Amino acid sequence: MLFLHETHRVIGRYAADFEALVRDGWMGAVAADDDARLLWYLNHAMGSGPSYEVVTITALADGVAWESLGHRTRDGDLADLAVRLDACRHEVEGKLLLPVYWSALQDVDLAAVPIDAGTHELSVYMQDTGWPDAPLDDYIELWDHDYWAVMRQAPPERRLLDIQACFQVAHGSGIRPEAILMQKVVNFSTLGRLLSSVEQHDPTTWPGTYMAKGLEIRDQWESKLLRTSAWSPLW
Amino acid sequence: MLFVHEFHTVVGRRAADFESAYRDGWMPALADGTDARLAWYFDLAHGSGLAYRVVTVTAVRDGPAYVRLAERLARGDLQSWARDLDGLQHGSQGRVLATLPWSPPFPALEELPTGGDLREPTMYMEDTMWPFPGKLRPYVEAAGAVYRPALAAEDARMHMSVALGLETMPGAGRSPEVTLLQRLSSLEPLIDLLTRDLPPEVTGPGSWMHEALDLRDRWRSRLLRTAPWSPLP
Repeated sequence: MLFLHETHRVIGRYAADFEALVRDGWMGAVAADDDARLLWYLNHAMGSGPSYEVVTITALADGVAWESLGHRTRDGDLADLAVRLDACRHEVEGKLLLPVYWSALQDVDLAAVPIDAGTHELSVYMQDTGWPDAPLDDYIELWDHDYWAVMRQAPPERRLLDIQACFQVAHGSGIRPEAILMQKVVNFSTLGRLLSSVEQHDPTTWPGTYMAKGLEIRDQWESKLLRTSAWSPLW
Repeated sequence: MLFVHEFHTVVGRRAADFESAYRDGWMPALADGTDARLAWYFDLAHGSGLAYRVVTVTAVRDGPAYVRLAERLARGDLQSWARDLDGLQHGSQGRVLATLPWSPPFPALEELPTGGDLREPTMYMEDTMWPFPGKLRPYVEAAGAVYRPALAAEDARMHMSVALGLETMPGAGRSPEVTLLQRLSSLEPLIDLLTRDLPPEVTGPGSWMHEALDLRDRWRSRLLRTAPWSPLP
């Protein structure tokens, strides 16, 4: 299974139109072939980064589904919708993602993903994108052994994040080396403390151990706080 | 046919090893199967931009073949090759591209050389354009109807031809974006372009340069030189 990750730089004046086109047009149209589903529609939380930036993640059954989506958007039944979406954004930057070996999300039951745009509460994700200096495989392994494993052992009241997926970029569709964590924020008080506390990387306590060890293979990453829309299929 | 276009930031001290990884590793590894072939290996010409930059273009049969290739690199027989390459480059920026409707025909995968035979290097000008929002299709149509034929005209200022016209596949790069890989057949007009102002007849009303400003005003040119062993000249 492939995951199509797109960052849309939306024209502010057309932000509502863009969201409506995705919700009322794109989401259902993409699902018409039963081999693709929009999973997440996420707004980059204003106040934490760029304005009017939207992230969408779409699950694709396989290479046939991806190629078919390409044909449909270039000169098929989605071409008109694609032109209207293009007119609402400055640009879109996409990459194809593969789940890493330890990712909780591997396959998606596409038929079970809703396309009815029902409303629900909002969730916030911390999307971490990292670029190691070391081989990509070493970074993915570090996240497994020294980040995810430790996070799972933390008592519930200390948990900030639930890692729902971890991806690497499929060959030639973006940056290498790069890996991505999709982490749901499960405690906003802890998030507040993370944002407002002085960083103390005590090597004997989490996350100090990981922070210290992580510097051996990377010191560049970017966290984005992304908030689902009220109708995002997954939240 | 799809094209994996990669822009590599190579570790200068390891530049020869990097080239060898593609010539002696990637090219023959792909030649063992039927899904993909290395098409071009380019060096960005020193003196025209960033140092130690390499562009590779790999032709891939179709979407399923691309996914098989990606999985081989992520967790299959090519994983160790990719891991070694991580030590030879600071990083790479990849895109997967599809041909424009008017792009010239491309050889069948089986026809691409895989033996690394040497020949004289060839110069290319790779132009990447970013049309205004909502102007991708009009730009592609205009480039095919006006720009490409103009290159082929007898009195063309540049002696070059479009080898491939490409646009980004969904989720595999930036959009709107169009890339033209253009093969130079003579250096003299290029030097003229680099050293003289464009005359009014090239930039004035009615010209491609002028009229296409309604569709885009940002693009980037790279001067690329094929390696002597590059499968395609």
